[in-house]
Amino acid sequence: MLKLGFRVITVGLVVLFASGIALAQQKFRIGYAVPLTGTFGRDGNLVKDAYAFWADLVNAKGGIEVKGKKYPIELSFIDDKSMAAENAKFTEKLITEDKVDLVLGGFGSDSVFAGSAVAEKYKYPLISGAASSNKLFERGFKYYFSTLGKATEEVRGCVDIIQILSPKPKTAAIIGSDILFTSLACEGYKKYAAQNGIEIVHFELFPITLQDYNSMLLKVKQKNPDILFVGSHLMVAMKTIKGMKEIDFTPRMVTFSYGPTVPDFVKNLGKDAEYVVAASEWAPNLPYRDPLFGTAKQFSENYFKKYARYPDYVEAASAAGAYAMQVAIEKLRMTPPVKEGDRVKLMEELHKQNLMTFYGVVKFGEDGANEAHPPVAVQIQNGKLINVFPKEAAEASPWYPMKPWKER
Amino acid sequence: MLLFLQSLLNGILLGGIYASYSAGFSLIFGVMGVVNIFHGEMVMLGAFLTYWIFTLFHIDPFLTIPFSILSLFIFGYLVQRFVINRVVEAPPMISYILTFGIHLIIAYTALWVWTADFRTVTTSYSGFNANIGGIIVPYARLATFGLALFVVVGLYILLYKSEVGRAIQATAQDKEVARLMGVNINRIYAITFGVGAAITGMAGSLISTYFIVFPQMGLPYTIIAFCVVVLGGMGYIPGALWGGLILGVVQSLTATYLNAGLSGAFTFILLFIMLIVRPAGIVGKGIVE
Repeated sequence: MLKLGFRVITVGLVVLFASGIALAQQKFRIGYAVPLTGTFGRDGNLVKDAYAFWADLVNAKGGIEVKGKKYPIELSFIDDKSMAAENAKFTEKLITEDKVDLVLGGFGSDSVFAGSAVAEKYKYPLISGAASSNKLFERGFKYYFSTLGKATEEVRGCVDIIQILSPKPKTAAIIGSDILFTSLACEGYKKYAAQNGIEIVHFELFPITLQDYNSMLLKVKQKNPDILFVGSHLMVAMKTIKGMKEIDFTPRMVTFSYGPTVPDFVKNLGKDAEYVVAASEWAPNLPYRDPLFGTAKQFSENYFKKYARYPDYVEAASAAGAYAMQVAIEKLRMTPPVKEGDRVKLMEELHKQNLMTFYGVVKFGEDGANEAHPPVAVQIQNGKLINVFPKEAAEASPWYPMKPWKER
Repeated sequence: MLLFLQSLLNGILLGGIYASYSAGFSLIFGVMGVVNIFHGEMVMLGAFLTYWIFTLFHIDPFLTIPFSILSLFIFGYLVQRFVINRVVEAPPMISYILTFGIHLIIAYTALWVWTADFRTVTTSYSGFNANIGGIIVPYARLATFGLALFVVVGLYILLYKSEVGRAIQATAQDKEVARLMGVNINRIYAITFGVGAAITGMAGSLISTYFIVFPQMGLPYTIIAFCVVVLGGMGYIPGALWGGLILGVVQSLTATYLNAGLSGAFTFILLFIMLIVRPAGIVGKGIVE
């Protein structure tokens, strides 16, 4: 009797354990390595928030729906400490040790460059919404996708805005930190400035670790450019504005490739942030929508409800990337656990995708870059990011020229 | 010419900033022989104290200085008294490891508490400057320069004109004899560290008004302080001013006339040359052994 009871319990435990495994596999386990500390810690946290926003929204509806059944999303992330090598290491760990079903991109071209090489090796499609250096797309990779355009294209709106300015600026200086994304942004400025007939009076790349900008900016001020184009991340953008004010340098316009769209920029600089123009790939007033997030405006409002701040374009691009992957999964009727064959199909599907999202159309080119995305320029006016270019999507005219510091 | 003068002035003011946060590093090294790797974290703590007092209570950053001084003094005193004093007699490598450990603890605790956000103190007068014959003088940096002078003179008076100063000097010169003369070495060490931390925190408070504040900002400050102190002479307090000025001027002129990227390289070339040619610092009064 005792023996029988023992057998029943054993069988019961085995069944329970097996079903536990089966239950545990009934969700999509998605991992990513992202900078949460170090130079890009603040920016990386935005990406993390964007993925969490997407996953929570999908999970609130029960999960990703495949064949009438819903599979929740389980996100896991590792801090790469803003070091590219660490990103590669942790992406490999997520794939080989944690055996996640799928991966997503982190933040910054250097990190994503390293992480996506690992993803390519293991045939994991990796969509990033926060890296855009051209080199990312020149590797012949099949598994790397980006909802952003290329870095050189991303700043186009910041230069093309010249076409609607009066009096038209004639000269410009370009400065930027010497890391991958920002140096390419500077190349982009140069390319589009030439197309717009702007003379470049100064071009300089400096180390991202440079502590004091005043003496460098002094040299730029001396050359008296009409416009200052800056290849930047958040910290570089903040330091540039502080330095410009300290040495009393007011060109007619200053633009940044990234930074001012992060809420911390306005929060910290207050009135000094006024007039600043920044590259963006998305704005909440654009006429886009999808079934998950709703309209661009609804995405922005719901984001605010969750995080008490409005999203910037990198967050929108990251959420849109995750959504593009979700739609592909649903279309392929893929269920967890995701095997290599599934991932190959997913990669092929993503290349075919032409998807309307709240972020705009997501259509990946042969090289993985989002081909369908128009660059936007925003300006800080009365403490808010206002879409000022292209004219069709503009909320207001650009404030131009920039008011001298002493007259504010 | 105006460009040269402006760049020179920028360099001098930058030198003042460097000196303001390096003097404490020099003091601590001079008295205890400890190369304090968490020095930059004390700058960070001073800057964050000012940031929070300014943000939460809208108190002017300059008025937060006494609070930074007091808080950092207590912090420095306690850390020395209960942690570093235990290894002060050990080989230098032990103190490197210990202070490196403290650097990690402070930086990562700050990161946990305050997150990786970049912050800065922007007051209604932030970035204000005077225009003297075409030369721009930013007030906040001028104030820091004044502070650096005040700190160096103040430390000089403390060390040479006060009872505690004499005890500190005696301890620095020969701790065994000082101990035999009735000086409480552990207390002197703790006071010295407290004073070093206090002036560093004060510099951090001012820095928050023109640089960016974030939990992991510390290490570059430690590196610069190290360079400044080597240039000026390890342990020789007025040397912090000399070292800061040389470094500031060289960096500024390099950034203005050559390339901002080279200013970092020049810093280390200068450091390298000094260590070989004049290891006792520019005025030759630093500690060599």
